[in-house]
Amino acid sequence: MDYYLMQLVNGLSQGAIYALMAIGYATIVGVVGMVTFTHGEVIMIGAYAAFYAFSFFAENLFLGIITSFAASWLLGIVIYKVCYERFFDSPRHIPLICTIGFSMLIKNLAQIVFGPNMKAMPQPIDLGFINVLGVRINTIQILIIVIVISLSTILYIVNSKTRWGIQLRAVSQDKKASALMGINVQRTTMIGNCIGCGLGGVAGMLLAIYYQSILPTMGGVLGLKSFISSVLGGLTNIPAAALGGILIGVTENLGTAFLSNSYRDVFAFVFLVLVLIIKPEGISKKVGGRP
Amino acid sequence: MLEVKNLIVNYGYISALRGIDFEVNKGEIITLIGGNGAGKTTTLMSISNLVPKTDGTIIFEDKDITHLPAHKVVMQGISHVPEGRKIFPALSVRENLITGTFGNKKMTKKDISDNLEKMFVLFPRLKERVNQGGGTLSGGEQQMLAIARGLMMNPDLIMLDEPSLGLAPIIVEEIFELILRIKEEGMTVLLIEQNAAMALQIADRGYVLETGNIIMSGTGKELINDERVRRSYLGD
Repeated sequence: MDYYLMQLVNGLSQGAIYALMAIGYATIVGVVGMVTFTHGEVIMIGAYAAFYAFSFFAENLFLGIITSFAASWLLGIVIYKVCYERFFDSPRHIPLICTIGFSMLIKNLAQIVFGPNMKAMPQPIDLGFINVLGVRINTIQILIIVIVISLSTILYIVNSKTRWGIQLRAVSQDKKASALMGINVQRTTMIGNCIGCGLGGVAGMLLAIYYQSILPTMGGVLGLKSFISSVLGGLTNIPAAALGGILIGVTENLGTAFLSNSYRDVFAFVFLVLVLIIKPEGISKKVGGRP
Repeated sequence: MLEVKNLIVNYGYISALRGIDFEVNKGEIITLIGGNGAGKTTTLMSISNLVPKTDGTIIFEDKDITHLPAHKVVMQGISHVPEGRKIFPALSVRENLITGTFGNKKMTKKDISDNLEKMFVLFPRLKERVNQGGGTLSGGEQQMLAIARGLMMNPDLIMLDEPSLGLAPIIVEEIFELILRIKEEGMTVLLIEQNAAMALQIADRGYVLETGNIIMSGTGKELINDERVRRSYLGD
C-alpha cells in the first residue's frame, strides 16, 4: 500500500512539472492561436541554461529559475519571429510545419553545442527525506510543487487582475478587434508566447533536477507530453491544462507501479486516447457564447 | 477633421473602392449609406488600416494616418465599433469596457472609473451584467456593449459600422437616440447604415456609395428628399 502511495506522490510531483509545461503550452496556443511543436526544445534550452548557471556561477535555485526563464524567453522571441510573425494570415499548416522544422534545428544545434551525451545535473538543494504517515517524500518533490504552485499563482494573478492580463486575453480571443482597441497585437502576442516559453524553461530545469540528468534530445517526448496535457484540458484552457498535466504524471507513475517502467510513455498516450474517445472536447468546460 | 482622398482598395482582382473622397468636420454626424457590397465597411476598415489600401490618403487632424498600423490609428483618437460587434466573449462586461481604454494612453485610473460610471448611466442594462461574460449577452446588449466600449477612450471621432444590424426596431431607436447624445457631448460620428431612413434623419450630411464610388452627397434633408435615394434606399 505504502508503495502505491509513494508512487502517487511521485506522480503528483512529476505531474506538477508536466502541469507547468502544459500551462506554458496552453498560454502559447491561446495567445498565438496556432499549435506549436517547439515547446520540447524550449524546455530543453531552459534546462541547459540552468545547468550552465549552476556549473559556472553558483548552485543557487533562484539563479537557476531566472536563467532558465530568461533563456527560454529569448528563444521564445526567436520562435515568434521565425515561425509566427509573417504567417498570421497564411494557412495554419505553414506555421505548424515551421515549428516542427525549427525544433529539429534547435535539437541538432544543441547536440553540437552542448555535446550529445547525457550529463549529470548539479543539485541546487540537498536531498533530504520527510516521513509523512509512512510515505517518504523528498525535498526536491516539495520544492517542485511549491515552485509550480507559486508560478501558476503569479500567472493567474497577472492574467485575471491586471490590465495587462486583460490585454493578453483580448488578443487571444480576437486579434482584429484587439487592434481596434488600440492594442499592439504583434507585441502582445510575442510577449504572451515568451511567457509560455519561460514557464516551459523553468519546467525543464525542474525536470532535470528531478531526474538529476540532462540530455539535448530530452525535449521530444516532453514537448509531446505538454501537448497532450493541454489537449486533455481543451488546448487553451490554462487551469484545465494544468490538471491534464497532473493526470498524465499520476497515470504514468501508477502505471509504472502496477506494470513496468518500460511502458512509461505508453501509459500517457493511451490515457490521452481513452479520454479523447470518451470526451473529445477534453476535460474543460467550453466557455459559453452566442455565435 | 477627417479627410479621405482618392481611396482605392482592391481585394485580389475585385475592386471594392474605386477612388472615393469625403470629409468629416468636427461635431458632425456623417453617414455613408449604400446597398450590400457598396464598400461601406471597407471604407471604415481601410481608415483603421485593417485592410491594405491600393492608393489614397487619409488625413486626421492635419496628420497623415494612411500608413499607421491599426493600433496607432486608434491612439490618434479614432474609435472604430466594428460590424458584428466583435466584443470579447470570454471577457466580462467590465473587462470588455476596460479594453476600450487601451487606445488612450493619457487616461488615468480615475478617468477610467469615471467613464465606467458614465457608461452605466447611459446603459443601465450593462450595469446589471457587469460581471457576466460578454458572450452571454443578448444581441442588443452586445451592440450596446460594443458602442460603450468604443466610447470608453473618449475618442474625438467614433466610427459606427451598422449599429442597428439584426436588432429589434425598439432597440434600433434607442441606439439612434444614443448617437444623437454622443454628438451633443461634442464627439464626431461617422455612421454606416443600411437603415438609410433612420441614418439620414439624424445625419448632418450623408454620402451615397454604390459599387465603390460615391454617387451623391448632401445634407441629410437633401438626400432624404432626393428622388433617386428615395427609390433605391428608402423603398418609396
